[in-house]
Amino acid sequence: MPTAILASGLNASGPETAVFWILAPIAVIFALGMVFSRHTVHAALMLGGVMLILAVFYAAQDAPFLAFVQVIVYTGAVMMLFLFVLMLVGVDTKDSLVETLRGQRFAGVVAAIGFLLLLFTGIVNAGIHGSKGLHAVNFADDQPARGVENAGGNVYQIAKLLFDRYVFAFEATSALLITAALGAMVLAHRQRHTPKLTQRELMQQRFKFGTHPAPLPGPGVYARHNAVDTPALLPDGSPSPLSVSLSVELVSQKHGRAPRPAELGSSAAAHHPASGKGQSE
Amino acid sequence: MSPAIAHVAAALLPGAADPTTSFPTPHLDYRALLPMLIVGGVATLGVLVEAFVPRGKRGITQTVLALGGLVAAMVAVVSNTSIRNITAEGAISVDGPTLFIQGTVIAVSIGALLLIADRALASDADFAAQAADVPGSAAEQASVRAGFVHTEVFPLAMFAVAGMLLFPAANDLITMFVGLEVLSLPLYLLAGMARRRRLLSQEAALKYFLLGAFSSAFFVYGMALVYGYAGSVKFADIATALSSSTHGDPLIIVGLALLGIALIFKLSGAPFHWWTPDVYQGAPTPITAFMAAGTKIAAFGALMRVLFVAFGGLSWDWRPIIWGVAIVTMVVGAVIGVTQTDVKRLLAYSSIAHAGFLLTAVGGITVGTADSESSVLFYLVAYGFMTIGAFAIVMLVRDADGEANHLSRWVGLGRRSPLIAGIFAFFLLAFAGLPPTSGLWAKVAVFKAAYEGGAAPLVIVGMLASAVTAYYYVRIIVLMFFQEPAVDGPTVLAPTVFTSAAVVIGVAATLVLGIVPQPLLDLAGKAVPFLR
Amino acid sequence: MVFSYVPVLALFLLAGGFAVFSIIAGRLSGPRRYNRAKYDAYECGIEPTPQPIGGGRFPVKYYLTAMLFIVFDIEIIFLYPWAVAFAQKGGATVFLFVEMVLFIVTVFIAYVYVWRRGGLEWD
Repeated sequence: MPTAILASGLNASGPETAVFWILAPIAVIFALGMVFSRHTVHAALMLGGVMLILAVFYAAQDAPFLAFVQVIVYTGAVMMLFLFVLMLVGVDTKDSLVETLRGQRFAGVVAAIGFLLLLFTGIVNAGIHGSKGLHAVNFADDQPARGVENAGGNVYQIAKLLFDRYVFAFEATSALLITAALGAMVLAHRQRHTPKLTQRELMQQRFKFGTHPAPLPGPGVYARHNAVDTPALLPDGSPSPLSVSLSVELVSQKHGRAPRPAELGSSAAAHHPASGKGQSE
Repeated sequence: MSPAIAHVAAALLPGAADPTTSFPTPHLDYRALLPMLIVGGVATLGVLVEAFVPRGKRGITQTVLALGGLVAAMVAVVSNTSIRNITAEGAISVDGPTLFIQGTVIAVSIGALLLIADRALASDADFAAQAADVPGSAAEQASVRAGFVHTEVFPLAMFAVAGMLLFPAANDLITMFVGLEVLSLPLYLLAGMARRRRLLSQEAALKYFLLGAFSSAFFVYGMALVYGYAGSVKFADIATALSSSTHGDPLIIVGLALLGIALIFKLSGAPFHWWTPDVYQGAPTPITAFMAAGTKIAAFGALMRVLFVAFGGLSWDWRPIIWGVAIVTMVVGAVIGVTQTDVKRLLAYSSIAHAGFLLTAVGGITVGTADSESSVLFYLVAYGFMTIGAFAIVMLVRDADGEANHLSRWVGLGRRSPLIAGIFAFFLLAFAGLPPTSGLWAKVAVFKAAYEGGAAPLVIVGMLASAVTAYYYVRIIVLMFFQEPAVDGPTVLAPTVFTSAAVVIGVAATLVLGIVPQPLLDLAGKAVPFLR
Repeated sequence: MVFSYVPVLALFLLAGGFAVFSIIAGRLSGPRRYNRAKYDAYECGIEPTPQPIGGGRFPVKYYLTAMLFIVFDIEIIFLYPWAVAFAQKGGATVFLFVEMVLFIVTVFIAYVYVWRRGGLEWD
């Protein structure tokens, strides 16, 4: 049934049908994977897969501009923003299973059913009444009346709209792009108040204060463990607090990892000068 | 280089047949577009100034550049008064209302820019030293000590002005949408750049951005539905499509409703007004003045063009909706305004009520009659100038930690500094629509237009709402002049040249229009109707 | 129309084939002696530790890079139909050229601003 509609309504050619039947199931699998995957980054990657396959479909259906937009804007910009937000929030952040919006699930189901109905009637409509087909719209010879208007394929037509009829809106768009860059700088860029210390200055500082002229000791390397959260042992057998970065140490404690001898105590915090954190890796 | 790439691309791409005609060159009437080109160009130059001028000289350079650009744009608008031309391949309509609104926007923007310049150049600037610093952090204090201030506010404000000029001039939905975004995007940013009460300011910016983005989405959705009905986004084509059918298609009605939501959001009409008090309160006061005046003027221009030029054939469908919106807007603005204790929030509700008064004239319009259109134009001028002036005064009343916006701090201000309090009282009278101010004639004009258009119920509600708003304005006057000042009351900043200029412009315009309104009413009458 | 994409498809097949070949060839030709160390992430060297505080959050500095990328990404979208129109017979008009140069220059100003103000430095 769907094949019949596709064939009759959309004038699908042989290779196009083949592309559809190969890629459509993969797209569906990706889409399902996106919905059911527990890890947000996996879900985002699945979504990227769906978008790429959609781009192939667009290309196969003679919509090269849409295919490019799908790749450049959706898979490029939108997906990157998704991932960026995920990273900003933290990939480890677990989904909260508490629904904050009352009746959200019900509304979602209703909307989904409504959308499916809409889609179904649209496709059936196209199947029953038939459609002009993209070729007729894109190319002159099939439609004498709109011949000149539609000559040159749809990319050319879009160019004609963008750079002729909507030329002012197009140029005004550059104002939006500048505003976006300006806004990003204003909101996210911090100018330093003091000049950045060079390597030489850092070294001079280390010697000036004299507590640790040499680089700090690296973390422990043992038969069983070789991790940045495992402290090195001093000659007397006690672990060296200086060998583990403070932030790694805090995280490890939180995760209950890497046995941490009690005698490390609070001296670890006191002995971390900003300079020369020698985590030789 | 690029033609070579293009040739390769053309060879690779499907459907790149040779066209029978050459690529068209659009017809642009550069003289008619000049105001927008000047403001946009100056904004772009402002970005270059940010890039190349050393920090210490940026503020003054930006001020000179922006003010010069606005004055030049004003000259361009004035020299264009005889132009009635649809240009840029039908995308821009430079007609009477466009020129009138562009002139008004530029005039209030000059006032707002004076305020912005004042608060950006002052030693205790009101704009964030470095917006990326965490509020209350040591880094923030270091930025303040280093004397940083974001002079990016100037190019951002100029971009917003460019959007405000384009928004009411757009003659198709796509251009209008771009204008809407060009005007909104900088304002979202500017709202979050206060130096004091920064969390409040950032919250305001986020709220404004999220809700504004939703309203833009409504606009785009509406645009798609209208395109589905009319097969075009040009206003003239939509009007033609409507005139050839007798019954209202759900597609076009829903489409118009969605467009209306976005437009009513921008002019802060109820029930899409929720952002207004929070954003007006959180944003730096010069920015509040700018967006309260400028956005409303531009948005009313755009709303009228959409309703009258494109959807005039549907006026029987949209008119009752506008009636309802006008009534709810007036009631919300008047009633909730009574309970406010913060002067900026109070002015926000006042601005909502004014949107309602303006909508009565829009709702009373029988499409084609010039009276109601010109009454709206007159009201916008009067409202714009009194808003700039009132916020300028709000800016001056200060404590040790910035502005003293709580009304309890304003008690007895008239005894301490009678001049400032007197001017504020004058603006409040103008808001209330009492003589001898422009507010009186503005209200008379819109109510007359509404009544003549058969919207008598709106006029009645409008009168009642006016009475309620007059109550809270007069309450502030009483509080300023007839109560004993507190011992540790706020100090009134001695106004600088910039602020004084803005206040003088506001007072002069409000007073002159209050005594001799007729020339401007005539001018507004000559500006209408919209070019179709 | 689908046939004009055959070269692209061939490239995909070539790339995919090379990846598959490499994996299988590695399997067949290399010795396999598994122990605990072999199962480590990098087979030798540093053991993976838990994510740093905040669960692998990015610094907001990346936002600037992201935004700049998007600005120029959007610019490319406009360049594509422009290039197609420009390459066609009768398309290469002075106006078409000038309007795109104007657009690119305007967007480039944003880049100049970000660069001059140190938005591209990482410290």
